[in-house]
Formats: sequence, C-alpha cells, structure tokens
Amino acid sequence: MFEWLEYTPIAIWVGESLYGYPFMLSMHAVGLALVVGIFAMRDLRLLGCFNGIQFASFGRFARLGWSGLVINAISGAFLFTSQATTFVDSTPFLLKISMIFLAVICAAIIQNRLRAEASTWDHAGSVASGSVRLLAVASIVLWTGAIISGRLVAYF
Amino acid sequence: MESLAAAIENTALHTWVETTALLWPFLEIVHFIGLSALLGSMLLIDLRLAGFYRHINVAATQKLLPIAAIGFGMNLMSGTLFVFGDPTRYLINTGFILKLILILIAGMNAIWFGWKIKPLMKTWQPDADMPILAKVIACISLGTWFGVLLLGRLIPYVSTG
Repeated sequence: MFEWLEYTPIAIWVGESLYGYPFMLSMHAVGLALVVGIFAMRDLRLLGCFNGIQFASFGRFARLGWSGLVINAISGAFLFTSQATTFVDSTPFLLKISMIFLAVICAAIIQNRLRAEASTWDHAGSVASGSVRLLAVASIVLWTGAIISGRLVAYF
Repeated sequence: MESLAAAIENTALHTWVETTALLWPFLEIVHFIGLSALLGSMLLIDLRLAGFYRHINVAATQKLLPIAAIGFGMNLMSGTLFVFGDPTRYLINTGFILKLILILIAGMNAIWFGWKIKPLMKTWQPDADMPILAKVIACISLGTWFGVLLLGRLIPYVSTG
C-alpha cells in the first residue's frame, strides 16, 4: 500500500518537481511555529508565567495554534507520500506521530477546560488548577519530543 | 565571503563542530525549539500590537519579551555554530544572505519598538486599539520573522552565488 502511495501523481509531484518538496517543507516550518509556538505560550501561561494576561483571552488566542496543526497535517501528508515506505519503517517518525497524537489529545482537553474554567481561575487570583498544570507540562514535553524525533528522522 | 569561509575553516571551532558526533542534529533541535519560542511569543505580542485579539491586556504582553529573547539567543548560538561548521555552505548561499539581512531589519525594528512603543504600553487601556505606528512595527516584525523562517528552511534549495 505504501509502495503504491509513492507512485501516485501527488507523491511524484512532491518528490520530483522543482517546487513541490521545498514548498511543503516551508509550509511545515510555518505550521510548526504556529502550533508549537502558540501552544507552548498557552502552556507557560497555565504554569503561572505572563501573569496579567487572562486565562480567558488565552483560550481564544490558542485557536490560532490549531490552524498551525491543520497546515502541518496537510503539508505533512504531502511530504509523507514522497517517501512513504521509508517513513513507515522509521522509528523516529513513528515516535514523532505518536507524540503528536498524544499532544493533540492534551490540547483538546486543555482547550475544553480553558473554555469551562478560565474565568474561575482568573477570579481565584490567577492560578490554574493542578490537573491542568500537569497537562501543560505533558504538552510541552510531547511537542518538544515531537521536534526532537522529527529532526532525527533524517539521521536514523 | 569566500576568504571569510576559508578563514573559518582554519579555526578550532570549525573542527569541533565538524567532528563532534551528533552535534549537528542536536543544534538543529535547539534551532527548532528556539524558533518556536521566538515566533510563538512574537505572534502574541505583534498580533495584539497590530490591533487583533483586543481581549488580551496589551501591557501584559510585554511579559513574553524574555521568551522571545531566549528563543533568539538559542538560535543565534546554534546558528553561529552552523556557520562555523559548514561555512562554504552558508556564506555563499543567497537564501542565507537574505535571511541575515531580514534578521538585521527585524533587529532594527525591535529597537524602534523598544524606543517608541514599549514605554507607552503601560499607559494604554488593556483593550485599547493601537496607534498606527504600533501596527506598522508589528507588521514589519511578523513579516521579517516569518521571512527569516521561510528563508532558513529554503537554504538547501536556493542557488549559491
């Protein structure tokens, strides 16, 4: 199946055209900056940094991070097709995808709890509840892990 | 540039970067984490200064500036080591030269922000719209930093010369 994928017209365009691969890589870098950058700022806020920015407003700002995730799911899928058989056998790649999967679950739970509880935390002297802070730590660790394993795909 | 590259190749730092196992991927990882910190914090600060997300208290966005500085510092250090490790790859690369020029513009823009905007931030209402100068500086900042990101990613694909 993955071999078939590598010979689809899309995979050949990504792999062999002059602009396909660099364009998708550029999009992947922009998406990375959006999703990891913004989710990390949200996580730092949940951990007590940037006191003065309300949790409620961070809940809305973090939505921009989701657009980065969409950009990277699309550009990542294109990049995947060009070397599908290599990627499915690469341990760092599988690790990266697993960590992103878990990080997205973290982000969804955090987003829901921000929506429901942000104003409570804002009134309670600007402290997020313990379980959300734990999720914020998990989120930072998972995204960092995804960057590390993603870079190592090229080496192992 | 070519004589500079040759001079760098005679330094001990060059030999160290080139011969230390796994240093290169380690530096790449640092560079990616640094860019996430820099762009994540700049996005929040600049989008608010550009007049978006007015529910974010504008004076408090200054608290993200240290994160931007840490991210920039990480990338300045890892980036310098890339140049020392492989000077002929970078110093004659059009994408890299353009990237350096954009960083220079972004740096001067940051000084402009520190001089004209930062002292005023505490005096503004938390949900105030921004003066035109703040919006211009914010747009230059986002434009240059995302340009830096794209040019950096495209270094392996653009021509040298």
